[in-house]
Amino acid sequence: MKLRWPTWVRPRAAIGLLVVCAALAMGPLLHDNIYWHNQLTLTFLGIAAALAWNWLGGYLGQVSFGHAAMFGVGGFAAAQAQIHLHVPMVPAWIAGGVLAGLFALIWGHPTLRLRGPYFSIATIGVGEATRLVCTYWDAFTGGSSGLSLPMQQNLKHQLYWYGIALAAVALAGSYALRRSPLGLSLLAIKSDVDAAGDVGVSSTRLQDLVLFLSGGMIGICGGFYASYFSYIEPGNMFGFDRSISWVLTGVIGGIGTIAGPAFGAVVFVLLQQSLIASYPQLYLGLYGMLLVLVILFEPLGLTGLALRVLHRARPDLSVTGVAGED
Amino acid sequence: MERFVELLIAAILLAGLYATMAYGLGLIYGVLRIVNLNHGGIIMAGAYAGWWMHSQLGIDPYLSLVPVAAAGFVLGMVIYLLLVKRLPRGAAGGVQSLLLLFGVWLVLRNVAYLMFSGNDQTLRTSYATRALDVHGVLISVNRLAVFGVALLILAFLHLLLTRTYLGKAIRAVAQNPDSCTLVGIPVERIYALTFGLGTALAAAAGLLGAALVPFSPSFGASELLKSFVVVVLGGLGSVAGTALAALILALVEVFAILVLPAYLTAAVGFVLLVLVLVLRPGGLFGQRVLG
Repeated sequence: MKLRWPTWVRPRAAIGLLVVCAALAMGPLLHDNIYWHNQLTLTFLGIAAALAWNWLGGYLGQVSFGHAAMFGVGGFAAAQAQIHLHVPMVPAWIAGGVLAGLFALIWGHPTLRLRGPYFSIATIGVGEATRLVCTYWDAFTGGSSGLSLPMQQNLKHQLYWYGIALAAVALAGSYALRRSPLGLSLLAIKSDVDAAGDVGVSSTRLQDLVLFLSGGMIGICGGFYASYFSYIEPGNMFGFDRSISWVLTGVIGGIGTIAGPAFGAVVFVLLQQSLIASYPQLYLGLYGMLLVLVILFEPLGLTGLALRVLHRARPDLSVTGVAGED
Repeated sequence: MERFVELLIAAILLAGLYATMAYGLGLIYGVLRIVNLNHGGIIMAGAYAGWWMHSQLGIDPYLSLVPVAAAGFVLGMVIYLLLVKRLPRGAAGGVQSLLLLFGVWLVLRNVAYLMFSGNDQTLRTSYATRALDVHGVLISVNRLAVFGVALLILAFLHLLLTRTYLGKAIRAVAQNPDSCTLVGIPVERIYALTFGLGTALAAAAGLLGAALVPFSPSFGASELLKSFVVVVLGGLGSVAGTALAALILALVEVFAILVLPAYLTAAVGFVLLVLVLVLRPGGLFGQRVLG
């Protein structure tokens, strides 16, 4: 029997993703620089999270300032599952992700009918309320002293390859959510909810679905983070700065594009790591400035910039600018 | 009973500050249809400005209110003319201007970190700990002063919006900018002035807040959310509505102490925000016009 791809999957994109993943997976065979190994692992995590944020913020235009809530819920749920129920790591991540997705639905289902700025403001409230409650909820998060996961030999090193898989899944998800027929519905909802409803797009159900996927993926990232650092603490997991970082990576990389937030995440992690030692707070200010510049001059961020350069070099290629992939 | 009266008075005094805080946000939203996410940053900047003038120049915070508000006004005009003006207003630019102003907030926060470090600061005046004893109920002099100043600011605003040409123009632009152009109101200038006015209010509120609580560069985030609750609750622009909404928020926060553990009272405002937003969809800010 012949394997059939859906028509919207371009073989070139799928092969490209596989090749990049394979190359990255082989990377550690070529060098033994622990620092870069770990940096890359964190970058993969950042990519996965930024892409997941973009499903809601970019594809639906619902910019969330509270995604750290799901990151924390997923992370602590995965940690608890590993500590008390002795669930293996990956199932624990997935369980955490599902829980985080459900949590997102609880607050998001009623909130998602707010549009634009109102939704954003509501998510700040949700994120901060979750942080406050979880900081004092000892049974779940260990309170301000946090949770320590069982130490495993060599786990941090192996997480590199899990990270590649995580980022690849997120990227494939981004591709699917944009290019499948579903993506068209999302675009319709983003442009005009009422009009989308008029032509038969079930906006409530689709928004809930995207929220669940986005929150769930962020939750899985939280689980990954917990395994990587083997110690987590609610102030950090649920922090407002964490939510902000995804807004920044998403918008600066290219909000609503398939791969833009991934670029944003790469730049963000690099910048953060090079500045955090000497100026722990400076990188956010730098990113704030970038954000201002992006909004004023290049709404599609780094992706838009790349498209512009591409267009300059090859004016014969038509560049749509909406999807911004390839 | 005495405790009840004390809490009630605390709530009323707090409400004055909340109303001042929220009015700037509501004014900018009402006229420009822009959610000023930089509101929190300006509140923080106002707090630092007052603190700096008190510790370096020895000026009493209540006296420095005027220069701080004036500086806020200029800053707001600059932010509007340099940045916000370039974006589409209303629904089209909603998220864009939100993100833009958020970027400005991050930059302000970092400037504060670099200049004053991330440590908590307090604005300590000689009368900061003094209290009046009214029939056994203690009232902090400082809180009373903040309340008084807040009332003055609100009264000034009310007069400005109802009695002056500028105020009438602002209200007219809030109603219908296109018609304003027809009758010769310089809409762009009104936008810039309104943005400056809203920013000045935020700076003044930040200074008043600094007189009551310790602050750091991240100060302003929860103040922004509280302002938002008040604006959403109180409807657009009416001074009375804002005052009432501020009172409701303050009452809920203060009396939450009776039923909730202390650490959760801070979450009450956030929960209230989400509830209000969700339960009043569509006509979030009410359809009322300024004045």
